[in-house]
Amino acid sequence: MFGRMNRRYDVVVVGGGPAGLAAALGALDSGVSRVLVVEREPEPGGILRQCIHAGFGLHHFREELTGPEYAERFVTQAMDRDIDVAPHSYVTGLAVDSSGHRLVRVLSSRGGLATVECRSVVLAMGCRERTRGAVRIPGTRPAGIFTAGLAQKLLNLDGYLPGRRAVILGSGDIGLIMARRLTLEGCKVEGVFELMPYSNGLTRNVVQCLDDYGIPLHLSTTVTRIHGRDRIEAVTVAPVDEAGRPDAARAWDVPCDTLLLSIGLIPENELSESLGIALDVVTGGPKVDSTLATSLPGVFACGNVLHVHDLVDFVTEEALRAGRFAGEHARQIRRPRDAIALVPGANVRYCLPHTLSADRPHTVYMRAKTRMSPCILRVGNLLERKLRFVVPAEMIHLTIQPELLERFYEDRLQIDLLPVDGGGAP
Amino acid sequence: MTERQEQHYVCISCPIGCPLRLVHEGDQIIEIEGQECNRGAKYARQEFTDPRRTFSTTVPITGAVYGRLPVKLSAPVPRQAIPAAMAAIRLLCAEAPVRLGQVLLRDVAGVAGVDVVACRTMDRVMIAPS
Amino acid sequence: MYDVAIIGGGVVGCAIARELSRYHLRTVLLERFAEVGFGTTKTNSGIIHAGQQTTPGTLKGLLEVRGNAMFDQLQRELGFGFRRCGELVVASTAEEMASLERMKADGEAKGVPGLEMWGAQRLRREEPNLSLHLVGALFAPSAGVINPYEFAFALAECAVQNGVELRVEHEVQSIALRDGGGFRIHAKIPSGPGAVPSGPGAVPSGPGAVPSGPGAVQAVPDAASATCVDVEARFIINAAGVHADKVAAMVGADDFTIRPRRGEEYLLDRRLEGIVTRLIFPVPTPASKGILIIPTFDGTLMVGPTAHDQDDRFNVPTTTEGSEEVFATVRRLCPSLDARATIAEFAGLRAVSDTGDFIIGPSRVPGFFHVAGIQSPGLTASPAIAVHVVELVGRAGLPLVEHDGFNPHVAPPARFATQPHEVRQALVEADPRFGRLVCRCELVTEAEVHQAVDHGARTLDGVKFRTRAGMGRCQGGFCTTRVMQILSRRLGVPFHEVTKRGAGSWLVIPMAEDREAAMTEAGATTGDPAAGATEEAPCSDA
Repeated sequence: MFGRMNRRYDVVVVGGGPAGLAAALGALDSGVSRVLVVEREPEPGGILRQCIHAGFGLHHFREELTGPEYAERFVTQAMDRDIDVAPHSYVTGLAVDSSGHRLVRVLSSRGGLATVECRSVVLAMGCRERTRGAVRIPGTRPAGIFTAGLAQKLLNLDGYLPGRRAVILGSGDIGLIMARRLTLEGCKVEGVFELMPYSNGLTRNVVQCLDDYGIPLHLSTTVTRIHGRDRIEAVTVAPVDEAGRPDAARAWDVPCDTLLLSIGLIPENELSESLGIALDVVTGGPKVDSTLATSLPGVFACGNVLHVHDLVDFVTEEALRAGRFAGEHARQIRRPRDAIALVPGANVRYCLPHTLSADRPHTVYMRAKTRMSPCILRVGNLLERKLRFVVPAEMIHLTIQPELLERFYEDRLQIDLLPVDGGGAP
Repeated sequence: MTERQEQHYVCISCPIGCPLRLVHEGDQIIEIEGQECNRGAKYARQEFTDPRRTFSTTVPITGAVYGRLPVKLSAPVPRQAIPAAMAAIRLLCAEAPVRLGQVLLRDVAGVAGVDVVACRTMDRVMIAPS
Repeated sequence: MYDVAIIGGGVVGCAIARELSRYHLRTVLLERFAEVGFGTTKTNSGIIHAGQQTTPGTLKGLLEVRGNAMFDQLQRELGFGFRRCGELVVASTAEEMASLERMKADGEAKGVPGLEMWGAQRLRREEPNLSLHLVGALFAPSAGVINPYEFAFALAECAVQNGVELRVEHEVQSIALRDGGGFRIHAKIPSGPGAVPSGPGAVPSGPGAVPSGPGAVQAVPDAASATCVDVEARFIINAAGVHADKVAAMVGADDFTIRPRRGEEYLLDRRLEGIVTRLIFPVPTPASKGILIIPTFDGTLMVGPTAHDQDDRFNVPTTTEGSEEVFATVRRLCPSLDARATIAEFAGLRAVSDTGDFIIGPSRVPGFFHVAGIQSPGLTASPAIAVHVVELVGRAGLPLVEHDGFNPHVAPPARFATQPHEVRQALVEADPRFGRLVCRCELVTEAEVHQAVDHGARTLDGVKFRTRAGMGRCQGGFCTTRVMQILSRRLGVPFHEVTKRGAGSWLVIPMAEDREAAMTEAGATTGDPAAGATEEAPCSDA
């Protein structure tokens, strides 16, 4: 029930975005009945509520939905199945009592600082945006510099334009979508600037968000200086060489009153860190086994807090699984300990989960380091698959069947993305 | 005799973004290739004859938890009709409660069968959110 | 007419204001920005120096040691963030060790307490993450770190509570000598949207709402649409920082020039907390104390500042070269510091005078006092400067009659994040607004934002520097709209009139405006805004 928070649950889910809602539903599927979702916003749905563009649900629902529509399907299910959702609430800590129950500290204005007892916890806090500091753009510190997500929130939830003349740094999907959104609302987008020689967003978004509206995309170009005292007045942009160093001789100034930063997302693991959960330095999220359990017993993780996804459909899939395992754990069902370490090899930035067991099929998510077209995905000596192309912006997913793993007697399984003879990296 | 020409598109039907090649002689489509699924061929044909796009935006809403209600077009409109469609939507204003899928405007910008619909349910809230 | 007008609400002006508020005087503090401490103070490195590094025999050297000793009591009275963490001046050669020995002797002569020479072994044991190339250090236990903006806010608040009138967004344009003595200060105030209601106890500025205090203020329309006011005072204390020479020139007391010296600072991610526990200085050069590692009061590390002269007194950019210089230098002191850990960078201006020392005292114009050229160690010296200046103005004829009602205390802000569980519980029970989170990175609650407004915050930056909301890893991504909403409600201005730091620093444009424009346009072109079969009637109020 929306707004209800009892003292005791089987599973508590931290975060009511797409990951949290799916995890809660997954927990119910596993046979538990008491599930709480703790959400800091006034309503569940997470970032999808401000992602008003279409493109969600093609895998999970086989139809194209907008973010709010996708979110509402899960919110409706959660309400129909009697999941408790505590809005305006924030998890400040987690402890374990002598009988092994997890004690979740929940801060809210209605409940004060409450302690909720449960057997399993699912971390689904999502991610946050990288900021100006992360890319160290020199210059002044005027008003008018927004992360793309903050601008999206101001525009789509609150109804305010961030400015009238914008420059967008970073061609990730949020940057591309905001370019179109701002243009439709009458804000002139002077251009999208991308440090890399390729766009970090989906190709379809370059086509329908930039090309359709005549917004220039400047590849291998970055913002090197911010100008303006009170409000941003211009940025200096410069082409970069292969090492990413700007060429000051070819720099030029772009007048603008707004700079949007779409320069990447980072899993939000302040809570995980404070709990001493082991994190992966590459993903920025917790290390997890094949049940999506973190290093802290009874604590699971899924969605963007685990690793940043590009499609919400995969978040849903992963979170349903995490929720099911968390529910099992709450019912004191135990799984055999994983025996195989899954490790990234050639051109693989990371792969998840970190370990596998041989007794069931596994969904593995991975990301390439660089573009390769075409390419062979090789899983140890178990499996080879030809892929038309891989790019860092698009997550690769793969199912490994237990029949393959049954014949695997080593403790280390490496995944490689290898060039096809005659093909390979450009 | 019309010369044989080709057009290149990137399919936007799904996130894969297949690069498409359409060969034509005048208005006559000879060949489409590059698609991973048949939506690609359909997209190329549509793009060649009548390129259409859809978009989402928001309209102001009163009495709800936030000030804006997300809306979308029920189907794509001709690409050149987008500014007119935006202009028409800009005149809308909703009042909570609104249900997901509720039609706010029919035949937007004069395009028969394309409606502006609400993308979410927004209940009426009595007290302003804190 | 006021007895005293202080021009400049930086930490020095605020300290003088509080010092004057001990006496039966009518004092006004004029600040050009939307809040006090928004100039050099906000970008200060936040160090309370021990005093051993400054040349003996200078006014600087004297007031620095004196000021340092005042901070424990000030902290108890005003509740700002301050901790005596101690400082280490580290040496990498035998010659540098020798100069540290000289520095120690100088410091002891000036009365700097507790100075110790540390060898390599002791240094390694106390600060194991410093470079293995360092051979020793001079340890000064009385040095500390402070949140300089909190200090300035608290000083101003205390002054206001004891009767000083604070006028923000008052930019002094000219100063005239009044017939019959005293001065008439002509100041520009903003008008129209974006004008910020003034600080604690003050009334909103802008046309039609001009304060009618004891200073016989008159509003006169200015040529460039902004409004101007006149403020009259018997004495002027010029604490205008990097603009002090310009202000002095307004009365013909241009005895010196100020050349701003820019310093860039880089704030590092919290995960580096504890890498060093004391202030780490290299051996200083004549130009500056060098580039330092600062374990800030709030636990994050800060590195900087650079020192580069510039003419522009307004534009204070950080630069690629500055960043490279800072990290190249600090990595020689502490190799694990990495530019990639930067979460924010900023730059500030030091008000460097051509005399090389502080310029404090009467000018050649009777009644007009300089407090100028207050560069490092100005923050440390500021409370001693205030006492010194007030004494000088008293000697020049300002009657200093103490008033019994002087309250030296201001209530420190309740910091939810730093409280243990039980205290947090009690806070939420007492005020449910402590249960609503505003900033997730720094765990700032709605109650604290309200408190900041109660204590004078009028802008996003004002809230940020009082509560830390927006200072963390996400740099305002989460809290910006929440803080704007609270400010909008509390200041009684529309959401879009909330600014980052005062006039000109607008944040958003309401879409409603655009919609109205669209309606006008549609009405003009089609004559039928409701074209098409609407199920919702179009309405005009957004």
